[in-house]
Amino acid sequence: MRQLGELEATVMDRVWSWDRPTSVREVLDDLRRERDLAYTTVMTVMDNLHRKGVLTRERDGRAYRYRPVTSREEHTAQLMEAALPGVGDRTATLLRLVDRLRPNEVAALRKALDAAKRGKGAAR
Amino acid sequence: MIVAAVLAGYAALAATLGAAALRRAAWPQRAPALGVAAWQALSISSVLAVVLAGLALAVPTNVVAAGLAELLQACLWALRAEYGPIGGPLLGAVGVTVAAGVTGRATALIVRELAGAARRRRRHQALLALVARHDSRLGALVVPHQVAAAYCLPGGCRQVVLTSAALAALDDEQLASVLAHEHAHLRGRHHLAVGAATGLRRAFPGVPVFRHAAEQIAGLIEMLADDAAVAHADRHSHAAALVALAEGAAPSPALAAGGPQALARVRRLLAPHQPLGVLHRAAAALVVVVLVALPIAVAIAPALVAAQSPYCPVDLTALS
Repeated sequence: MRQLGELEATVMDRVWSWDRPTSVREVLDDLRRERDLAYTTVMTVMDNLHRKGVLTRERDGRAYRYRPVTSREEHTAQLMEAALPGVGDRTATLLRLVDRLRPNEVAALRKALDAAKRGKGAAR
Repeated sequence: MIVAAVLAGYAALAATLGAAALRRAAWPQRAPALGVAAWQALSISSVLAVVLAGLALAVPTNVVAAGLAELLQACLWALRAEYGPIGGPLLGAVGVTVAAGVTGRATALIVRELAGAARRRRRHQALLALVARHDSRLGALVVPHQVAAAYCLPGGCRQVVLTSAALAALDDEQLASVLAHEHAHLRGRHHLAVGAATGLRRAFPGVPVFRHAAEQIAGLIEMLADDAAVAHADRHSHAAALVALAEGAAPSPALAAGGPQALARVRRLLAPHQPLGVLHRAAAALVVVVLVALPIAVAIAPALVAAQSPYCPVDLTALS
């Protein structure tokens, strides 16, 4: 299971950097230069990625051609956007070190920190 | 009836004035773990009082009273006298419905919140695995991204996640305290406290005690983790880490206000450490225990009095 997860990341790495519709065969040929893999393994991985909504596909003869739904940067941005919403929509999904704040609130934090630093400096 | 009325009145006070008083109290910040326990106790106490009020309404009805009298070896008449006049089977049914409804709804929404969070977390982790790399030196996942963020995926995932921008914004000492903060969350299973409070808030929207409890517990577990982080690090350095990450987290005017809580954490780290003294701690712990025990005591005291009642003036068969 863990190995399949690693393989998903490797496959996405290829598909994202090629940035064109790709068949299972093309990905397999590329990955085989590094390690021995079965066609069905790569097919399963790409099918999983399709089910997770990361790849779209369209039929091309007897096989599918896969394309990433978003770019790598967009995928990361969406993921981090979901991870870091504001204070209001807090759930138990994940625990953040600091919430995203308003600019004036961040400025107030900075002011408190700087004032404390000056105080510390003056005490010495 | 009287017991039910007392319990219902207590629940109303605890859920409003009690919550307002605890929110104004300054001591939870000086003992965050006890603070979390106090909010949980106040929440449980409010729910429990309503549930027991419902059950108390059912006590004077024939079936319940006869069974209870036998169980306690108490006089049926005395028992009924203690719980007030017979409300009739209808009132009894209403009481049981309220008790079952409140218990069921609270349980269902807490379970749903925790299960939903676990599901979203697994999905997030699966999508994260496509772009993050595991840094074995940090023991964390690093995501290449220009917005600073540090968070953990608790529960089964047990994963600390940092963006590359967060790594760039922190020096080594700050990084160590940030990692210690996240590990404190994972070790303490803080997500369960947040999940339960959020579930209760969803179960009974608009009730002050649950709204405040969810907010305050979320803030207090952060302070708890901050305390763990500064056990081996400089307090000012950890405060600077929080500010650096807040600055790098793409601040936006469109967001809901969250500053007071973040500011309270930073100020708390910058001020000299003032943990609550032993006596105050003991007092706070006592409050926690009393909050949970009080509704139970109110509910069962009349039954105990009835069980002690030395005489039974009427023929039992005449009553049933």
